Amino acid sequence: MDLGLSGKKAILIGAARGIGYSVAEVLAREGCDIALTARSEDSVKDAVANLSKYGTKVVGKAVNAKQADDYKAWISWAIEALDGVDILVPFTSAGGGMGSEKYWYNAFETDVMAVVRAVEGVIETMTEQQRGSIVLLGTTSVSEAMGGPQPYNAMKASLITWAKQLALWHGKNGIRVNVVSPGPIEFEGGNWDMIKGTMEKFYASQLRQQPMGRLGRPEEVAKAIAFLASDAASWCNGSHLVVDGGFTNRTQF
Amino acid sequence: MKPHVMGWDREAMDVKRVVDVFRVDPESVGNGTPVERFPDPELGTALIPAARYYSPEFMKLEWERVWTKVWLLGGRGDDLNEPGDYICTDIGKESVLIVRQADGSIRAFPNVCLHRGNRLRPEGRGNAESFQCMYHHWTYGLDGKLDHIPDLCTFHQGGPPGMTLTALPCVEWNSFVWFSLDPNVEPFEDFIDPLKRHLEPYHPERMAWKRDVTVEWDCNWKASVDAFSETYHVQGIHPQLKWYLDDVNVQIDCFGKHNRYLIPFAAVSPRVAMPSQIPPAIQEIMVHAGMDPAEYEGRVSDIRRDVQLFKREHGAAQGKDYSELNDEQLTDDYHYTIFPNVSVNVHSDDIMLFRQRPHATDPNKMYYDIWMFELVPEGEEWPERVRHQTFKHGDKSIGQVLDQDAFNLPTVQTGMKSDFYPGLWIGDQELRIRHFHKVLDDYIYADGKQPTDL
Repeated sequence: MDLGLSGKKAILIGAARGIGYSVAEVLAREGCDIALTARSEDSVKDAVANLSKYGTKVVGKAVNAKQADDYKAWISWAIEALDGVDILVPFTSAGGGMGSEKYWYNAFETDVMAVVRAVEGVIETMTEQQRGSIVLLGTTSVSEAMGGPQPYNAMKASLITWAKQLALWHGKNGIRVNVVSPGPIEFEGGNWDMIKGTMEKFYASQLRQQPMGRLGRPEEVAKAIAFLASDAASWCNGSHLVVDGGFTNRTQF
Repeated sequence: MKPHVMGWDREAMDVKRVVDVFRVDPESVGNGTPVERFPDPELGTALIPAARYYSPEFMKLEWERVWTKVWLLGGRGDDLNEPGDYICTDIGKESVLIVRQADGSIRAFPNVCLHRGNRLRPEGRGNAESFQCMYHHWTYGLDGKLDHIPDLCTFHQGGPPGMTLTALPCVEWNSFVWFSLDPNVEPFEDFIDPLKRHLEPYHPERMAWKRDVTVEWDCNWKASVDAFSETYHVQGIHPQLKWYLDDVNVQIDCFGKHNRYLIPFAAVSPRVAMPSQIPPAIQEIMVHAGMDPAEYEGRVSDIRRDVQLFKREHGAAQGKDYSELNDEQLTDDYHYTIFPNVSVNVHSDDIMLFRQRPHATDPNKMYYDIWMFELVPEGEEWPERVRHQTFKHGDKSIGQVLDQDAFNLPTVQTGMKSDFYPGLWIGDQELRIRHFHKVLDDYIYADGKQPTDL
């Protein structure tokens, strides 16, 4: 099956590590040009350097998604550098946190507004092009309890609702919007790597709930994202794909 | 990239990253705790013979040449607030009474009645107007002098010489009381040198008891001292601490009889990838300092330094006087071994001290005393003295990290007796173990015997 990704232009935000970097790798391998960012300058530099081996155009610059002006300017820069944009996948997240009210603001800024600003930053270009594919990141924590009552879970839920509305609104312009919700994903330097080291019992209890007896790997989510981002998924719009190895108990009717 | 403070090849170690940590300039510490590296003593690379951990003969030598010759930690001065307050503490076959006198000084004497050998008091603390033996009511004053012998006229030889218990040397230093079983022990100042300057800036007298536990452990006391003398085991038995401290950038110093290591806390070990989220245990450090981790905008790798700066700025307003401590001390673990048996983690806000005492008869057992103290901010009420608890190895949790430390020790103790285990194969990260055993050897073999003689 040809994904039709060759020559496509992808903007990836928060893509220096983990699932984001893995998506960059899959897309680059498929022949996409890529503009990526993350907060840390060093990790952006490393990511760009590592991705260059696939022979497509890869550019990157660090930006803090909480600095709205810098961030919007980065998106304009990325569109310009790629000379258009076919694919947008924003991975920004403040992660978990409970106890301080400030976590709500962090999640709102990073999980929600950084995504909203990214979408709004590309929608005009995609509309002009009459094509585009946007994939937003949810989490299985929106549909099943995980880690206690946290802003992270609730804010991520809002993205899933918003993504469906985007899909309905922009479909007429050839823009598809879909959501991928990963379950627990383990990679070096990721949260589950730390949980494995610091909360051994909790990690083991999660592992026992995994039908396949392991956590997911970033590339296993990245491939699902790449599919939805590609023309191969031309009839997927407003969908919500759970990629969790069967971890959630509910049936997706 | 600066070289490792100990000269190790950081890239060749089992690490994922090479990390440079902030260290304070040794010139800047003034009269505070010295931070400069002390020159390493020449300690060689020989095996440390295993027999010393289980041999009754070696245990006997330790008793004769170490325990009865050195200064020993007896307790806390704040348990001796009033005249007549006493601490009764056991060491090996001996038991000692340390008593606050009417004039505010302290005195120590053996806890044994000169009449028929009965113990005057059980181990523990209390207040007494005098020490009366339960058996025949021989009565000693707070100063150890025999005040009354019932029917003294029936002792034709009179009372025991001098009518007094033997006065044992004792001193009060830095909120702790120390004693020696050797009436001719060297001056405490000479013994403790150079640690006064190292430990006084922490002002333990501003800290109150938080925990007072004694566990009978199934290992030789030295196995415990060893366990707390190196950070090499973090990557082995404390995997969770890799998201709490830097077990690679550790400075080790040996001086005289004592030694120390300095470990950066609120840091992520170079042995694991740097996480993007703040590790839970580091969040706790931040919260304890008065910071809100949710507000923190910096990188995880900057937290240690930022906690230092935050505490420096806000400590005084929190009633915490950090003025005599350097920035490193506001986060890090400075860990000292005070020969022979005190392992103490000193921190700006608390002290975690372990006193490791030999069993009276069995080299395969020991008493592990956990003494924890917490800084009482100025203006806050001094908390009630915690109760002392005693239990046996494995009966009760003593906290995740210490449980992990304790878990191995019985199997270390049994393994060391194997005919196929000649002795400890020690690396540079365990330099303090080598130093500790060298000092021990200096006491044991002072008369020219070789370590290999036993």
